[in-house]
Amino acid sequence: MVTNSMELRFKATLKNESLARTAVISFIESLHPTAEIVGELKTIVSEAVSNAIIHGYHLDASKDVYVKGDIEDDVLSLIISDYGQGIKDIDLALTPHYTTRPDLERAGMGLTIIESLSDSFKIRSVINMGTRVMVTKKIVSAEEKVTDDVGQ
Amino acid sequence: MENKIKISKFDDGLVIKISGDLDSYKTLSYKTKILQAMEKNEPLFLLFDLKDLTFLDSAGIGLILGRYNDIKRVGGQVGLVGLSSYAAKIVKISGLSSVIKTYKSVAQFKKEVRV
Repeated sequence: MVTNSMELRFKATLKNESLARTAVISFIESLHPTAEIVGELKTIVSEAVSNAIIHGYHLDASKDVYVKGDIEDDVLSLIISDYGQGIKDIDLALTPHYTTRPDLERAGMGLTIIESLSDSFKIRSVINMGTRVMVTKKIVSAEEKVTDDVGQ
Repeated sequence: MENKIKISKFDDGLVIKISGDLDSYKTLSYKTKILQAMEKNEPLFLLFDLKDLTFLDSAGIGLILGRYNDIKRVGGQVGLVGLSSYAAKIVKISGLSSVIKTYKSVAQFKKEVRV
């Protein structure tokens, strides 16, 4: 049972990264996430959104990026999509430190970071059709953490 | 937390304090500011103070790594200070921690790099 859902569409400009982060964080606010979870989710969203803007659309601000979120119990599912150029070789893109844009000083670690911070991670990409990143993350609540710490 | 950068000088080094969110959009202007300060002061040491950082991703990692490469070329050192457990996690996953050391304080960095 999906208990809440959201969808967001915005133009492919880096200025909108903070919009995407803020929207997702507001969306999970009622679950009282820990500061750590908030930080990790912000990073996941930003990495996926900046990939869509920079690699999917080559910074073409006339194009749209989509973020879809569902909360089921205490698990957040996110789908970040673009209808851009797609990834030629996903295995290569997933290789740590690999980047098609070394000029941008971005470390080539975006997908590795998303994968490491998520509980589940899937990526689908079709050349000239676009890329879709799907992640899930359990939202540990600050209250739950206090209880656990006391329990130990 | 307001997004801002503050660069201050110490001996032959610079402390670069970044507060708030360090995202792709902010790294563009911060990079220019850091490079200008580096050109003016020709530092051997850079210390990134991330105590008030609320957000970090590969754009910020790339910014720090880029300056590490600049400083390495002149034989200097780069350090990090004030990492939250969240920031420390991103630094570790990204591999940045394998090239740049984290220090307990600005004082400890200065002491260890002997400036």
